[in-house]
Amino acid sequence: MERLKRDFSTISLVMIPVAIAINIAIGQLVYTLKLPLYLDSIGTIFVGAVAGPWVGALTGLLSNLIWGLSGLNPAYTAYAPVGMIVGLLAGIFSQLGWFKVWWRAIIAGVITGLVAALISAPIYTYVSGGVTGSGTDVITAVFRNAGFGILPSAFAQGVSSDPLDKAISFFVVWLVVRGLPLRFLDRFSRAEDLR
Amino acid sequence: MIQLTNVTYSYPRAETPALHDLSLQIPAGQFCAVIGANGAGKSTLCATLAGFVPHFYRGKLSGTAKVAGIDIAGSSLAELAGTVGLVFSNPFNQITGARFTVREEVAFGLENMGVPPAEMAPRIDEMLRFARLSEQADQSPYALSGGQQQRLAIASVLVMRPKVLVLDEPTSQLDPIGSREVFSVLRDLAATDEATVFLAEQKLEWVAAFADRVLVLHQGRLVADGPPAEILASPTLSQYGLEPTRYTQAARAALGAGFRPQHPDLPVTLEQAVEFFR
Amino acid sequence: MSSTPFSLYIPRDSGMHRLHPLTKLALVGFALILGLFLPGDWLTYLAFVLVILPLAAWAGILPRFLPAVLKTALPIVVSLFLVQGLFWPGGTPIFHLGPLSLKQEGVTFAIRSAGRFIMVISSFLLLTFTTRPDGLMLALSRHGVPNSIAYVMLATLQIVPRFQAKANTILDAQRSRGLETEGNLFIRLRALFPLIQPLLLGSIVDIEERAIALEVRAFGRAGPKTSLLMLHDTPAQRVVRWLLLLASLAIIGWRVYLGLAA
Repeated sequence: MERLKRDFSTISLVMIPVAIAINIAIGQLVYTLKLPLYLDSIGTIFVGAVAGPWVGALTGLLSNLIWGLSGLNPAYTAYAPVGMIVGLLAGIFSQLGWFKVWWRAIIAGVITGLVAALISAPIYTYVSGGVTGSGTDVITAVFRNAGFGILPSAFAQGVSSDPLDKAISFFVVWLVVRGLPLRFLDRFSRAEDLR
Repeated sequence: MIQLTNVTYSYPRAETPALHDLSLQIPAGQFCAVIGANGAGKSTLCATLAGFVPHFYRGKLSGTAKVAGIDIAGSSLAELAGTVGLVFSNPFNQITGARFTVREEVAFGLENMGVPPAEMAPRIDEMLRFARLSEQADQSPYALSGGQQQRLAIASVLVMRPKVLVLDEPTSQLDPIGSREVFSVLRDLAATDEATVFLAEQKLEWVAAFADRVLVLHQGRLVADGPPAEILASPTLSQYGLEPTRYTQAARAALGAGFRPQHPDLPVTLEQAVEFFR
Repeated sequence: MSSTPFSLYIPRDSGMHRLHPLTKLALVGFALILGLFLPGDWLTYLAFVLVILPLAAWAGILPRFLPAVLKTALPIVVSLFLVQGLFWPGGTPIFHLGPLSLKQEGVTFAIRSAGRFIMVISSFLLLTFTTRPDGLMLALSRHGVPNSIAYVMLATLQIVPRFQAKANTILDAQRSRGLETEGNLFIRLRALFPLIQPLLLGSIVDIEERAIALEVRAFGRAGPKTSLLMLHDTPAQRVVRWLLLLASLAIIGWRVYLGLAA
């Protein structure tokens, strides 16, 4: 309980809106650069890394809720559990010290991506009939054509993009954490897990 | 109202203390300014009076610091919030972001203190008039100019009726017009004699214009303390990396060129300069 | 610098707009339940016509609401018919398109999924278009949602537009310095890092000050909080909210009784 109170300090609460804004701004930047990635959870992963799994999970959850409820992409609201898991896992991997070494951060990203694909597949299947409306739906089509069910095909679509996407995101967060002054990291409850 | 006894403070991971054996008493109603070069410890002193040293920055604080009878180290930021108000340089970062209009932004502190809504409205209106923001009451805080945002920050803190108002270089990020707007609000505040104000400032002309008392900080130590006319005209000012006001400089130049004034006191304000050169 | 919050709220003086935020939330929640749990292929479309459209019309926002629904739904609906309609394994062909054919089962599935998706997104859009975010958060914090969550939600809505503007400024600045943002995948990926760095590090420095500003305004104080903003509730609305909750539970119950595959 005491730990939780420290995790949810005012500075963490101030960090959350900034993290969500970073998610959205970078997500749109990636879209402008026409990259076949999302990179829309870098802020969430950063918060998970510096403030622990619970603050990370809250950031991911609210990020999707706000992105959806802002009206820009209402479907995002339905995928809020995915955002939550990404923040939670980033926090857990940070606790395990995996943000201290670059290649561990990348492995953590791959694992997080696999879990994200696993969780998003049933949501896609139920809420939008197994498609995402983006280019990666081609993969779903290939798997459907090969005789796979809707859920496995949606999962295959997720696996084709999520692990790479999260690996890059985790790597970016590792870079950022490494570049931050210790004086600043000290403000957060999980500084000792990071460097 | 403010009482510091042998206060020494070091930031975490810092080798040398930012404040060094500071002792100080400021009575209620005084407008006290602290001057000093960059890194002299002005901001740290402001942060100490508002409780952010040690509660936010952590680090090591020794000696005792009391504001309005409350021991800073022994209380929390939440307890100090209504007692000490703090305004700092960046106007943008002082907007909470959680309210959509100027009026609601001023209300934020009162809401957190649980002030009844019926009592809130007149207090907010009065404060908006004082800060000359009545016309902007229904605008977004983000739509204001820097000077307006800084007056909004002052209003938002003053509306909570703190016993002490601490201002940490409130105009250093403003343009000249914005600075003047902020100083004219501070001048009104100084004129009331009720508010206890502690102002850290680099612009000595403004300090000379309305401070009752001036402190000089140098490398974390209090090196001078007295009325503005005495401190600001003192020849030791440049030793502490400070430049005298242009009135003092002009008077010194005139003395050097052989000018013999009727009153030998060096001027620090425009009015005194007029007297000096009469 | 942008001063419009990141929200598509459309101010109108309608009966729908004047409802207590919780009543709107209950209405939208009910619409969401209809979308997610109505059985069969067509009932969701009926719900869209009989529930969503009248509410949007009552709010006076139809001319902006319908294009927004269409814009969000279109890519998914097109993809649904292409992916599931054309590639349904072992389905019954009903229409031939060169080497491909549209399958009966796939089309039925696409119709059902599209109806569900349209209900989900139009429910959320209805809430966004008719509800002031601060009013909604106030109502929620009066009913047990922590104040800090309300702060986070509202602050985010105001920060996002500024970050979008900042991101575009950085993108333009880097481009004018000769950073290549076009070309092959690797070049574009490499272009990303100099864009992300200033965005993240620059804002992290501001966070300390923003936290201090909140503390100064008694944000961390325990105990009851008040609000300048007033919400108007009526006994009738309270009854309606309970009825909507019961109706939602009834729909879920009906669906469970029929079996989730129905």
